[in-house]
Amino acid sequence: MAGRGTVQLRGGKDVILRVENLVQEFPVGRNRVVHAVSDVSFDLLKGETLGIVGESGCGKSTTARALVQLPPPTSGRVVLDPESEDEIDLTALSGNDLRDVRPRLQMIFQDPISSLNPRRRVKDIVSEGLEIWSDGDIGTEGRERVDEVLHAVGIDPAAAASHRPHQFSGGQCQRISIARALTVNPEILICDEPVSALDVSVQAKILNLLEDMKARYDLSLVFISHDLSVVRNVSDRVVVMYLGKLCEVGDADRLYEAPAHPYTRALLASAPEPAQSVGVGDAVLGDEIPSPTDPPSGCRFRTRCPLAIEKCATEEPQMQQLDGDHFVACHLPRV
Amino acid sequence: MDESSGAVKARRLGLGFWLPMSWMILIVGVALLAPVLPLKDPTDYFIRPGERPPYPPSADHWFGTDQDARDMFSRIVSGARVSLAVGFMSVTMSFIVGGALGMVAGLVRGWFDRLASFLFLVLLSFPGLVLAILFIALIDRSILTISVTLAVVGIAPVGRLARATTLSFAEREFVIAARTLGARNSRILFRELLPNVVIPMAALALLGVAAAILAEGGLAFLGLSIEKGETWGKLIRNGAGSRVLRDSPWVAFGPITVMFLTLASINYIGDYLRDFFNVRETGLGR
Amino acid sequence: MTGRQAPLLSVRDLKVVFPTPIGMVHAVDGVSFDLEAGQSMGIVGESGSGKTVTAKTLMNLLPSYALVDGSVTFDGRDLRALSAERKSEKHLWGVEISMVFQDPMTSLNPVKKVGEQIAESLRYHLGQTRTAARRQAGDLLEQVGIPEPGRRLDEYPHQLSGGLRQRVVIAAALACEPRVLIADEPTTSLDVTVQKHILDLLDDLRAARGMAMILVTHDLGVVKGRTDEVMVMYAGRTMEEAPTEEIFSQQGHPYTEALIETIPKINSASHTRLVPIPGQPPVTTSPPAGCPFADRCRYTTDRCVTQGPPLTPLGDDHQVACHTPVGTPAAAAALAANAARGHTATGLEIHQSGLPVGAVVDGPGERA
Repeated sequence: MAGRGTVQLRGGKDVILRVENLVQEFPVGRNRVVHAVSDVSFDLLKGETLGIVGESGCGKSTTARALVQLPPPTSGRVVLDPESEDEIDLTALSGNDLRDVRPRLQMIFQDPISSLNPRRRVKDIVSEGLEIWSDGDIGTEGRERVDEVLHAVGIDPAAAASHRPHQFSGGQCQRISIARALTVNPEILICDEPVSALDVSVQAKILNLLEDMKARYDLSLVFISHDLSVVRNVSDRVVVMYLGKLCEVGDADRLYEAPAHPYTRALLASAPEPAQSVGVGDAVLGDEIPSPTDPPSGCRFRTRCPLAIEKCATEEPQMQQLDGDHFVACHLPRV
Repeated sequence: MDESSGAVKARRLGLGFWLPMSWMILIVGVALLAPVLPLKDPTDYFIRPGERPPYPPSADHWFGTDQDARDMFSRIVSGARVSLAVGFMSVTMSFIVGGALGMVAGLVRGWFDRLASFLFLVLLSFPGLVLAILFIALIDRSILTISVTLAVVGIAPVGRLARATTLSFAEREFVIAARTLGARNSRILFRELLPNVVIPMAALALLGVAAAILAEGGLAFLGLSIEKGETWGKLIRNGAGSRVLRDSPWVAFGPITVMFLTLASINYIGDYLRDFFNVRETGLGR
Repeated sequence: MTGRQAPLLSVRDLKVVFPTPIGMVHAVDGVSFDLEAGQSMGIVGESGSGKTVTAKTLMNLLPSYALVDGSVTFDGRDLRALSAERKSEKHLWGVEISMVFQDPMTSLNPVKKVGEQIAESLRYHLGQTRTAARRQAGDLLEQVGIPEPGRRLDEYPHQLSGGLRQRVVIAAALACEPRVLIADEPTTSLDVTVQKHILDLLDDLRAARGMAMILVTHDLGVVKGRTDEVMVMYAGRTMEEAPTEEIFSQQGHPYTEALIETIPKINSASHTRLVPIPGQPPVTTSPPAGCPFADRCRYTTDRCVTQGPPLTPLGDDHQVACHTPVGTPAAAAALAANAARGHTATGLEIHQSGLPVGAVVDGPGERA
C-alpha cells in the first residue's frame, strides 16, 4: 500500500490547507534513514475535520509535526489557501516570515501534563500567545480574550490565575491546552491524539468541547488518533496511513461502511468492537511489522497482507478513485 | 478545582529541612556579622604567663587557642567568612557561565552545541589541581583568584547538567507549543526552559558550594590557598601536625567540626529541596 | 458465581490503604468477587478505580507499607496469611497464580535472553535442569505462536516487536501451569491489530489449559465477547458484577450505564453527539460515606449520599452496589423526581429529558 498519487486532492476555494508529496526522513546511525513519511498528499476544506488514523509507526504524528514545520519536512509542500492569491507555502518560509504565519496553525498534544509548563501559572500559559505578539503587555482586550477563552473551555479564570498545571486533572489540562491554542485565533487546529491519554469518562467531554470550539471559532481540524471509533466520531473525512504511506482516503461514514483497502479492513476488524462492515476473516494479519528503515518494495503493506500478489512487490500502487469521495491505493481493492 | 490542589499545598518543609537550615543561618549570620560582633581579634596573641599554648577550650576561649595562643573561635569565624565567600562566589560564577553555555547548547544544538560539548570535555579532562597551581603561580593568591580557579573547574559539570536538563525539557510538548505560538529561541530559553532547568541546577549549586569549600580546604592543605587571612583549610592544616593532633586536638577539630557541620547541612538541604520539588512538580500518582 | 463447588478464588470486602505524604489513599475500598476454576473474569475500571491494586494484592506485589484488610481465599487457603510467611509459600505466586503486566518493554529484562527469562522460572519453581527448562521454554514459545521458537530463545527483548514481546511475557507467566492467570492491561500498549491476536491467544490458552483468568482493563470493548463475567470498579469499590452479556445489554449500575453511553461507537455515524459523564473521578484520600458515584449520577437520592450501597443481587449471578439500579422501579422514580426538580440530591443539574445538563446543552461544560 504505497500511497503515491494526488488524485485525492480536491480543488476549489474551500480548500484551506493542501499537503503535496510530503516526505519526512530522519537519519539514524551511520547509513540508515527512517522513512517516516514517504510522499503523502491530502487537503483540508474550511470547516472540515480530517481524521488521520493508523497504528504506531505509520507516520501520522510525524505528518502533524511536519505541517507546523517542527521539524520542516525533507521535501514536499504545505500550502495555506492554495487556490487563492494569498497562497503561502510553509516549507518555503523561514525565520520571521515563518513565525508570522505560525498563529494560523495551532496544535494540541497527546500528553496533557507535558503540554503545559509545570512551573508557570495556567493563566500565564494561556496568555503566552498574545504576549508574544503584543511585545509584553496584552492590554485589557487581551486579558478579556484570555478570560473568554478560558470560560469557553470550562476553566475558571480565577483558578487559572493562581494555580499550576499539576493541580488540575488530565482532562482539565487538555482544555487548558485548547484554550492556549485558541487565544491566537488560529484557522487550523491540529490535534495529535488529544484524548488517548485521558480516561474514558473524560474523553467525551473533550471531544464535545472540540466540536463546540470548532463551531464557535470557525476552525478546521486535523485529528490524529489510533482509535478508530473516536476518529469516525469526530471526522468528516478520514485518511488511513501505514508505514509512511496513504492507504485509503474518503468520507468518514463511507470509508467505515465500505472499506476498500485490506489494511483498513484489518484495522476495522481488529477493533475490540469490530465494525459491522467487515468480518472476522479480515483481521488475519502477519505479526511481523517491517522496519521503517527498510520498508518493503512496492506496496509497503504486502508483507502482512492476506491478498498480496506478485505485482504488489514490484509496483507501488497509485491512489485511484473508487467513486465519489473515496480513494484507495491498492492493486486489489474491495469494491 | 481538584481538592487535591489543597492537599499538595499542605505539605510543609519538615524538621529534616529546618535543622540543617538553622545551622546554615547561624554560621552565615555569624560570618556576615563578624565585624560588629564582640569577638576577639583573630590575630591577637592571648598568652597566659606560665602556661604554654595551645590552651584547651574554656570560658574565655570557647574553642581554645592554637599554638600561638590565638583565639580559635574568632579564627574559625574569620575562616568562615573566607571559606563561605569562596564557596558562593565560585559557584555563582561557574553557574552563570556553565549554565548559560549548557542551556544555549541544549536548545540550539548544531555547531554551538558541538563546540560547547568539546569545551566541557576539555575542562573535565584537565586536572583541577594543575589548573589551580597554574593560576596561582601566574596571578596571585587572593580570594578572587582562588574563586575563579574553582569556578573554572566547575564550569564543565554544571554546563553538562544544564545541557542535559535543557535537552530533556526541550523535547516536551510545551516547548513545541511555544514555538507554534511564534516564540523565538530567546523567549523559549527564558520563559519556558529556565524556570524548569533552574530547579535541578539549584540542587547542584548547593552541592557545588559544599564541593568548593572542600576544594579550598584541600588547596589550603597544600599551601596553595589565600595568602593573607584565614580559611578553614588553613586552620585545619595548622592543627594537623602529629604532635599538635595528639596533645591538643581541639586546634584541628574545632575547624573540622564546624566545616563538617556546614558541608553536611548544605548537602542535606540540597537533597531535601530536590525531593521536595520533585513531588510538588509531578503531583503524587494520578 | 453461583458455585456448586467452592470458587477457586474468593475475595471479600478487600480494602487497601496506602499512607502517603498527602494523606491515606484508599486505593481499594471494598471489593468482593468470586472466580471459579476455568472461568474468565474482566475487571473494568478507569484510572484510580483500584483495579491494578486489586490485581497486585492477589499477586502479593504490594509494598510493605500497604495496609490490607478483608479476605482473599485461594483454593481454600487464606492468601493474606500466607504472604506473611514468605518462606513456606514461595512456590505459590508465579506457579499457581501468575501475572502478565501491561508493558512488555519493562516486564522483560533487557539484558537477558528471552529463553533464559522463561527458563529461570522453571528451574526455580519446578527444579528443572537447564536442558529440560530450555526445551520447555522452546515449547512454550511455540504454544504462544512465536515463529521459529528455537532461534528466538537466544534473542534479546529488543530484537522482538511489541506483540512478540508480550507473547514471551505470556509464555513466562504460563511456564509453571498456573491455575489463575492475571493479565493487567496486557494489550494497552500494543497496536490494535496486534491486540486482537494477543487477546485471542489468551482465550485459546485458557481454554486449552482449563485455566481461570482475570483480565484487568479500562477498555470495556476488550472484555466484550471474551470473558464470562465482568466486575466494574469505581473509586476502589465493586460497583457491579455480572455475566459479560448482561453488562452490555442490561446494565444494573448507573456508572456502567454511563460508561457504555459515553464511548464513541465504531458503527455510529460521524458527528454523533457523545454523552459525557459529568463531574470528576473522586479523590481517593477521602472516601465518601455514601456512594462514590453519587455526585455524577442522574438517579441520586438523599439515601445515596448518606448510605453506601452494599452489593445486592439483581438477578441470577448479577450483583449491584446501588440503591436505584438501572431498570428498577426505584430508579425510574428517582430519575423522574430529579428531572422534575431539575437537580439530584447532590446538586447535579438534570434536564427534563433525564440526562444531566451538559449532555444536552451545547456550550462549555462544568467549571473546573
